[in-house]
Amino acid sequence: MKILIVEDELKTADYLCKGLTEQGCAVDVAHDGVDGQHLALQHDYDVIVLDVMLPGVDGFSVLHALREIKQTPVIMLTARDRVEDRIKGLQGGADDYLVKPFSFLELLARLQALTRRGRALEPAQLRIADLQIDLISRKAYRANVRIDLTAKEFSLLAVLARRQGEILSKTAIAELVWDMNFDSNTNVVEVAIKRLRAKIDAPFSLKLLHTIRGMGYVLEPREPREAPHHESIE
Amino acid sequence: MRRSIKVRLVAMFALAALLIFSLIGSALYGVLQRELARHQHDELNTRFLDTQYMIQHNGDPARWPRVQAKLDTLTPADGSFRYWVLSDDPRFQYGKDLADIERIDRNPDGMGNLTLRGREYPLHTLTKALPAFEQRPAVRLIVAVDAAPYMHTLHAFMSALVGLSLLGVFLVMLLGYWIALVGLRPLKQLSSAAQSLGPRTLSQRLQIAPLPGELSDLTGAFNGVLERMEGAYNQLEAFNADVAHELRTPLANLIGETQVALSRQRTAPQFEEVLQSNLEELERLRSIINDMLFLARADQGEAATSLVRTLIAQEINKTVEFFEFVLDESKMTVKVAGDIDAEASIETSLFKRAMSNLLHNAIQHSIPGAAIVVTITQQPAAIGIAVSNPGQPIAENHLPRLFDRFYRVDAARNDKDQSQLHGHGLGLAIVKAIAKMHGGGVFADSVAGVTTIGFSIPATTVAAQ
Repeated sequence: MKILIVEDELKTADYLCKGLTEQGCAVDVAHDGVDGQHLALQHDYDVIVLDVMLPGVDGFSVLHALREIKQTPVIMLTARDRVEDRIKGLQGGADDYLVKPFSFLELLARLQALTRRGRALEPAQLRIADLQIDLISRKAYRANVRIDLTAKEFSLLAVLARRQGEILSKTAIAELVWDMNFDSNTNVVEVAIKRLRAKIDAPFSLKLLHTIRGMGYVLEPREPREAPHHESIE
Repeated sequence: MRRSIKVRLVAMFALAALLIFSLIGSALYGVLQRELARHQHDELNTRFLDTQYMIQHNGDPARWPRVQAKLDTLTPADGSFRYWVLSDDPRFQYGKDLADIERIDRNPDGMGNLTLRGREYPLHTLTKALPAFEQRPAVRLIVAVDAAPYMHTLHAFMSALVGLSLLGVFLVMLLGYWIALVGLRPLKQLSSAAQSLGPRTLSQRLQIAPLPGELSDLTGAFNGVLERMEGAYNQLEAFNADVAHELRTPLANLIGETQVALSRQRTAPQFEEVLQSNLEELERLRSIINDMLFLARADQGEAATSLVRTLIAQEINKTVEFFEFVLDESKMTVKVAGDIDAEASIETSLFKRAMSNLLHNAIQHSIPGAAIVVTITQQPAAIGIAVSNPGQPIAENHLPRLFDRFYRVDAARNDKDQSQLHGHGLGLAIVKAIAKMHGGGVFADSVAGVTTIGFSIPATTVAAQ
């Protein structure tokens, strides 16, 4: 996946470039609006990460110039969280909007959502090692044995399984499972993960549901003390 | 520049005095003029009658010189009175400058004015015809009085009037200045009292007692502003201190842990451990900052948008479902009671956030096995949503402050473990902000070991400003 980052804050641009490159993306970086606009118009990117406050030409103008010619998906970044800014960005043709400080995981998730649009329907069955999930009958099996899950436990498992190998933050899980789209500051997700883990992992030696401290949770087959694993977006 | 009240008052006094003096002056002038004119008229009539008889009964040219002599003696040397007798018969004539006489402009009543050459003021004249007698044909007798003395009187009066009026205006101005000075003294006192209020003495107030009634309203209002400012200032100071404190703990952890990690050779897993721990602290900072920005936006008057008519109980149930596992684990129950059919226009994500904060708060302050009750109360104007849990009684004075940022009933519960358990102290402030964004309010109560905290949302209206 080819990504353009237009961001004047050097540290931000650096870590975004590093993080996305490690995710297997080809990343170009521009540090001001003029360069950013030039690159965005000259090359074909899969998605553009565009800061609002830029020296030279600001993000809204870059977006405006881009939309005259192309429909490349754009995620706007801003330090100012005002409704009018958000509306201005979205009306200007931005596809998504992230307010600083945002988490890298959230940016990843949004990038995936943008590039995933229009893809084929997801399969009815998911399989992670010997864990088998039937999304239609809402049943889960491990080593061919039916695991008894409550409705919410199954939803949680399905959310994790659909994004297997992807780290999901607590906020993202709360949003995807319970439709709670705010930082809830509660231990609800921890408790839910604990219960799910007791049912799908506890009786088995191969652990699937892992805690990535400070970031969130990931569902994938791996050894417990392994270094954090990164899966490509593509 | 704006003119001072004093100058304006003096100018207005002067203007009023000038107006009154002018009115009285012109009235007096008019009266005097009329009186003088009447006096002249009477004078002329008297003179006329004095001479009329003598001429009327003289029809003999031989006796006419006696008339002339008599008229000569009646004519004063200063020329203030003049007589003329006009006749077709030159034997019966009298008076000098006869050629000028014809220029008299006469009124029907016989009164007229005559301007003689070399005289500044006209003569006022009375002309009457006398019938023929013996040899004398009909003659016209003209009596004239010099207007000069009257005009002089009028002029002198006028000058005196103008002079005195100007003096009067000047005196009124002086007096007005003094009145303004005295009248505005309370204002001056007030302003010097207001000036003496320093930025350090926020608790100081202006004294109302010695002030006149007109100013006590203003002073009361001003004191009210001072009070609100003091409150806001104190709240801001406390808030700043709280923010600094809340941010300091994670920052200290970050700095300390990083320094410790870097002060020795470490293995990759050890560094990983430090980074993970740092990330937790950073997430905490992020969460505090995001919540504070949310509160700031609400403070700036941001209202809830995308309001949707929603069944309140349905959103509450969704939030309760969110806590299902936590409740299950601590053996607590949540019952939704009251007017479960109540509907309101809400922004559902904000509503769920407020509900989630309230439920989280109730769970944190309840012992395992407790029964939490969410009560919906439909009132004509508003819908109240109250979350009650059995818990330690909260003193009356703490209740309204529960919704303050970072406010904790027990100040000692500030250590790290507790603050992680209870969030960062912005939960109920956010509930209040969300209620405000919908145009509602919050309430708290602690009776008989049951703590009730809740908020209300207008039953019908769109979000308030």
